[in-house]
Amino acid sequence: MSASRVVALSYLAWRALVAHPWKRLAQRGTGAERFVASYAGEGLVPTRPEDRAIGEAASACIGCGLCEAGCALSGAAASVRDLGLRAAFRLYSRGTAELPLARTALEACAACPGCDPLCPTGVPITRIVRHLLSRLPPSYNPPPGPP
Amino acid sequence: MEAFDVIVIGGGVNGTGTARDCAMRGLSVLLLEKSDFGVGASGNSSGMIHGGIRYMLSDRKVTERACRDSGYIQRIAPHLLFRIPFLMPFTSRGEAATLVEKATWYATEVYVGAYDLYQPLKRGKPSTRLTPEELYALEPALRPGLGGAVTLDEWGIDAYRLCALNALSAERHGATVRNWTEAAAVLREGGRAVGVRWRDVLTGETGEARAPAVFNASGAWSPALGRRTGVSVPMRPGKGTHLTLDRRFSNYGIICNAVDGRQMFLMPHENDSIIGTTDDDSYGDPDDLEPTSDEVEYLLEGVESLVPGVRRARVTRAWCGLRTTLYEYGKNEDELSREHQIYDHAAEGAAGLLSFVGGKLASYRAQSQEAADRIAALAGKAVDRCRTHEEPLPGGEALPDPAALAARYGVAAPAAARIAYRHGARAHEVLALCDEDPRLKLAVCRDEGILAAEIVHCARHEKVRRLQDLRRRCKLAVGACAGLDCARLAAQLAAHELGWSADEARAELADLLELGWRERRTILDGHQLAQEELVRAAHRGLGDL
Amino acid sequence: MTAAGSLQTDVLVVGGGLAGALAALAARDAGATVALARRSPGATALSSGAVSVAPDPTALPSTTFAARAGTVESARRLAALQPGHPYAAAGVALDRLWESLEFAARELPLLAPPSPRPRWLATPSGSARPCGLCQRSMVAGDLAEAKGILAVVAPRGHLWFDAGLVAGGVNRLAALGAPRAVIARLDLFMWEEAALGRPHDLARLLEAPGAAEAVGAMLRRSLPAGAAAALFPPLLGLSTAARVPERIAHAAGIPVAEFLSDLPSVPGLRLAAAIDERLAAAGVELVRGELAGRGPGEAVSAGGREVRARSWVLASGRFVGGGIARRGTLVEPLLGIPVLASDGPFSQAGAHLASRPAASLTRRDSGSAQPLLSAGLKVDADLRPLGLDGRPVHERLFAAGAVIGGHDQAADGTGLGVAVFTGYLAGRSAAAAGGRLVPAPRGVRA
Repeated sequence: MSASRVVALSYLAWRALVAHPWKRLAQRGTGAERFVASYAGEGLVPTRPEDRAIGEAASACIGCGLCEAGCALSGAAASVRDLGLRAAFRLYSRGTAELPLARTALEACAACPGCDPLCPTGVPITRIVRHLLSRLPPSYNPPPGPP
Repeated sequence: MEAFDVIVIGGGVNGTGTARDCAMRGLSVLLLEKSDFGVGASGNSSGMIHGGIRYMLSDRKVTERACRDSGYIQRIAPHLLFRIPFLMPFTSRGEAATLVEKATWYATEVYVGAYDLYQPLKRGKPSTRLTPEELYALEPALRPGLGGAVTLDEWGIDAYRLCALNALSAERHGATVRNWTEAAAVLREGGRAVGVRWRDVLTGETGEARAPAVFNASGAWSPALGRRTGVSVPMRPGKGTHLTLDRRFSNYGIICNAVDGRQMFLMPHENDSIIGTTDDDSYGDPDDLEPTSDEVEYLLEGVESLVPGVRRARVTRAWCGLRTTLYEYGKNEDELSREHQIYDHAAEGAAGLLSFVGGKLASYRAQSQEAADRIAALAGKAVDRCRTHEEPLPGGEALPDPAALAARYGVAAPAAARIAYRHGARAHEVLALCDEDPRLKLAVCRDEGILAAEIVHCARHEKVRRLQDLRRRCKLAVGACAGLDCARLAAQLAAHELGWSADEARAELADLLELGWRERRTILDGHQLAQEELVRAAHRGLGDL
Repeated sequence: MTAAGSLQTDVLVVGGGLAGALAALAARDAGATVALARRSPGATALSSGAVSVAPDPTALPSTTFAARAGTVESARRLAALQPGHPYAAAGVALDRLWESLEFAARELPLLAPPSPRPRWLATPSGSARPCGLCQRSMVAGDLAEAKGILAVVAPRGHLWFDAGLVAGGVNRLAALGAPRAVIARLDLFMWEEAALGRPHDLARLLEAPGAAEAVGAMLRRSLPAGAAAALFPPLLGLSTAARVPERIAHAAGIPVAEFLSDLPSVPGLRLAAAIDERLAAAGVELVRGELAGRGPGEAVSAGGREVRARSWVLASGRFVGGGIARRGTLVEPLLGIPVLASDGPFSQAGAHLASRPAASLTRRDSGSAQPLLSAGLKVDADLRPLGLDGRPVHERLFAAGAVIGGHDQAADGTGLGVAVFTGYLAGRSAAAAGGRLVPAPRGVRA
């Protein structure tokens, strides 16, 4: 065994017997509390079973666009309509951190539901939109950062 | 015939990183890449800038340097990195954990806890120990019977863009950068390597370039280059295969063990998830590598052991590359070092030729610095100091706010977010194209949030010479959609920018779709198979007259 | 109709794409009472708008249009070369291919009558495809019959279709008999809303009052010298009732056509809408929703109703339509009929191959016919699906369209040809098997 390896392993042994137990004594809060404190602020939140179920349902989308032929997304700007509702549930049932960016498209949905019967693979579009809307944080307008 | 201080062969992360460093120090550089940046091990890696946690077992200084370097990469490309928290669940053979198992769990907790000391170097968060209840609350998809977990975090990155940005930065500092240009031969005279004869793969143009230093960073293609040149580049190539899922399965990565005990992971990566990876000795043709059903099944089974629901997820592609592991005969693949070596071929009668083998994506900047030091010595010139850890990569100067971009340029916020991720501060340049031509706001890919403006920007400014290069620059046709909407439109836009004839555009479109097919063949199932049926129907036109 | 909510018919067709619709209409035309159960529009709304039928498999790339075999002869040659293909499975019934094409054109007036030689239509990616049946709006774009110069229209306002790519493709085929193509740039779709419109949005814009006339006038002003016809992107209206191509042609003074579409497809949507109209007018009872049941003769539930039919036609499609699925192994989800996959043109398809890994059922070169994508049911010469014992699953159960195995329509060039041919035959057979010998008056339900 090389010298540096001996040093490394000795250090780890010291940590196991001395430093780590001390660290645990001094820590505040449970592991889960500290985990959430570290990551929730960046949108890295747990995925609930209903989120995962919605994600699986949205996975059936094959991008055929038939739903759009029956959807108006009325009131939304041209670029939002172009990216479409499909982007809302494709891009955003994918992950929560960027979900607020889909707010405009999701809120433009009139819940008609003209799209559901048109989908060849049976994506429950209306249900997905409703779920994503419920997962949006309460609407407020933060001052935009520098463009 | 041109003269340079150094010729770099290979456009992976080491080649482009070294080219950038040398150019920034004032050397004249020629960078040659026979296809596109990152097509080898770099782009096909797991896409992580991690801190070398495993080296605490042998030398903590290596870990410290790796974490510090990870911090540097964040500094120079803040837009490209995203945080991935990992869960390392504790498993036990039986229902109740044995004393030995509990000791192992404690040892893991200690080990990861020691790594916490270096996390601040890379803006990482401290590890935590979770009880089983806490673990299931955070990740309900895990199978029952786990004994809690330890958590840590690392950073993910788009490795293809990392390579491309290093190449573009090198060019900005005066380097001559050529992709789709191969080094046909290394020229040798009187015991020295004196230069390279190159050939443009697309146009057939050839030329010669001379330099006192030739840096071979051609990765898995090194041994072949060595054989052509009459030197030996010992390498033990290792094939690694990954799977991509169509969405973020979880916001946390999960470390699990495969059937043979190897460590594996399921992790979120940008807006997808990646399952990886395999490691098999592979002596096949690096230009002709495909994932196999065997590897796909191995990966899914490995993850399924901890996440039973993974089989219901939609796998969108399987991809692979060859690691350039240092050569050691007789060891099992996982035991091999990921350390690197710079071989000097002076003893073989090719003084001035250096070959880079091994290494990790995460340490590319430090590896490149070391290489640039050696090259500067060979070039025999006085150079500036290394500043690759200080100067931002193109786009790394500032982090734009996607909502503000969307409002300013009149595009949908999700697309602005993707453009901001890929281009950072240069998102303004990309979207400014929409001010000139509002038609460019058209969405090309709704899966990946690509607008026509981004296709045009990449084609104009990011050394796109073939349509498939856009797969690597802006994720064209690599999503679940398999190129359904985007491929023909992107071919049309690229054709206008790059002056392709109608025939060339069709050929490029066919090539793009062929590459995608190779990645999807092994994973066609469920909805992805229906997607494939639709994609083939839409692109039938290519098979007609 | 017996009790409210429950339905008794001679024929139940499962699947509302082109195959199912033609089966329903063929059975109706033979005098049967017909119900059609479907879940969604299916893959027909996603088609190019035309029906290829069969390219001449013996032609060389350099063979001129005129020298290639006609539609029916091409289908015969294809059947001879690919014994596993549905055209071959039908045996001598392939003689009725022409009859099926004429029937489809008669039932769906948006289709032009078939011509013995296929019409060569341009595609958005710069190629041309022979089509045995196409929409009337496409006929003037037949490259094999065009005289004079073909003006390919380029709407300046929208990036979706590229006239240069299309025209370049047409010009490449000059040696085969294609006309010379030149680009005619029109200031069409010039405002931001339109620039970001999807194809169906653009088609709706052209349906607006006065829009088609304005386009025609614009075309007349910018017509290249010598242009004998104008070829538009496939956006000429979402319904034939709007008469967009006719109005443009009238205002421009020359014949007008649209080229084939990829996805999303306005002509495909138009075809699906025309199918729905015709089914309603013919008195086919439409049942929406998922179907659950065991087969002909028994009561099944569909869309909240109970349906009982003497014969069935299974036209549920392949992967997009949901008639065949791969969940680890290949299955036919509705009735559990064994699915066959073949691992090569010369090897026998077998149910045992259905559970091979995906890669084993695919070819490396994406342009080849892929066994995985030609998986489906095996049928006898009467189009009855066969079980593992090689005998028909039920004497009054028939199959039509993509659910039948043995053809990868993206690679063999037949497109919706199998749907039309097998749909028609299966409908006729189902009506006969249903015991209907006396034709009932149209529009009256039993």
